Amino acid sequence: MSSRDAILARLRDNRPDPAAHPLPPVARLGNMDAGRARFEKSLALLGGQVLEPQAGESLSAAIARRFADAKIICSAVPDFEGTVRIEELGTPQKAAEVDVLVVRAPFGIAEMGSIFLSEAQLPTLNSAAHLTQHIVVILSEATLTANMHTAYIERPEFHTARYGVLMSGPSATADIQGVLVRGAQGVRTLSVWWEP
Amino acid sequence: MPSHIVVPAVHKLTPDVAKLFAEHYHTDPNDDDPQSLAWSQRLAARPVILAADAGMTGGNFVVAETGSFVVCTNEGNADLSATVPGLHIATLGIERLVPRMADLGVFVRMLSRSALGSPITQYTTHFRGPQDGGEMHVVLVDNGRSHRLGMEDFWTSLKCIRCGACMNTCPVYRRSGGLSYGAVYSGPIGAIIDPTFNERKYSTLPFASTMNGSCTNVCPVRINIHDQLYKWRRVLAEHHELPFVKREVMNMAGRLMGQPKLYRAAISGTETALGVLPRFALYNWLNPWGKNRELPHPVKQTFHSWYKQNRLKTKKKGEDA
Repeated sequence: MSSRDAILARLRDNRPDPAAHPLPPVARLGNMDAGRARFEKSLALLGGQVLEPQAGESLSAAIARRFADAKIICSAVPDFEGTVRIEELGTPQKAAEVDVLVVRAPFGIAEMGSIFLSEAQLPTLNSAAHLTQHIVVILSEATLTANMHTAYIERPEFHTARYGVLMSGPSATADIQGVLVRGAQGVRTLSVWWEP
Repeated sequence: MPSHIVVPAVHKLTPDVAKLFAEHYHTDPNDDDPQSLAWSQRLAARPVILAADAGMTGGNFVVAETGSFVVCTNEGNADLSATVPGLHIATLGIERLVPRMADLGVFVRMLSRSALGSPITQYTTHFRGPQDGGEMHVVLVDNGRSHRLGMEDFWTSLKCIRCGACMNTCPVYRRSGGLSYGAVYSGPIGAIIDPTFNERKYSTLPFASTMNGSCTNVCPVRINIHDQLYKWRRVLAEHHELPFVKREVMNMAGRLMGQPKLYRAAISGTETALGVLPRFALYNWLNPWGKNRELPHPVKQTFHSWYKQNRLKTKKKGEDA
């Protein structure tokens, strides 16, 4: 008997009576506010930022202002130029040279200030979302979902994506004497640009 | 050995980290700024990640419906390990199984708020298959879990989501720290899980509790931790896994505490003994507790005798008046 079969056999023998533990109904709990204000408040709590356009400036102008020293700006969206396209990077490691990645999220979660990205938004290069120094996420207010329950119940991406990440602000650590440091191994900043 | 399930190096202070980094990363040994130390760590880790042929992660939840697993992290190291090298290997505890994707909301919301008090981890990543041009392998880890499932009194410990809330609240853990448990899983949850791996090695852990129940009170998945601590004591005693000295001492203490007169005589005798006995008589193999600790100082008077002397008389006077 393989160890796999041995484990499965033991689980069948030992498991509590399934009839005594019926599947509970799906929980849809909590605050159902899917508004932009709630999203922004949660985003700020987790260290993310909103990239606000000044006097009607374009996304590229706002990025040039916010990331003045950035040399390589990588675009993963058709409607933004950047200095390089994500498809041109070639290998996952190449993304380490990118200063700013511009990407469009299919939805956000108001409760957590989270944005979702999958291989569909990062064509062929999931590493780009983590190796880049800064990430700018284009998000439409209309795609906001209220909370974790509504997100998992309603969004099809959780069933279809092979790689799907909810990013809630930039990477962070508190491993050194409990002091919170924003910008650990992944992106150092995460900014949301509201789709006009 | 980690000293905490969520913050494994919590026993290290900034100067300890600075010293360690200076040794391995050649940074300033006197750097006392966690911000710049974390930056040094990032710079040191990047080339390692970029050169790696394989990346390993764990998994916080497994979803039966979709065959997905979920990894919750803050640093971003798991996502880097999974997406930069072409090969991703994940080890998943088989008890982390959630039936439906729609059930995940409950667990993801519970995890970080119980662990660190934050609403969610910075990264919550769902893996359902390898990325283009890559490989993904999953190792399902049993390590005693399927056996524990059959233990009527203890199987509910498999509900643990590893948030660490029981450690943060435990008065014993807070005083002694995680390393003192001598096992990967420390704190109250460790004290009920570790004996399932090795009853003899971890036989004393369920006894290191005051039965205050704080762990049970804060557990987000409602594991009856303090009940299980109590039940483990019985099991370990029945299996004769208690060390000889502990067993005998418990036996004597039981008899002694059942007889107040004898108990009081023994207490006053002990106080005298603590005051006059030479060290070799007090600190030897019969007293493993004293190996790294000092016994309490003898007191001139016990509370009981003080009460008898001062309060009982006053009360009587009060009654007379």
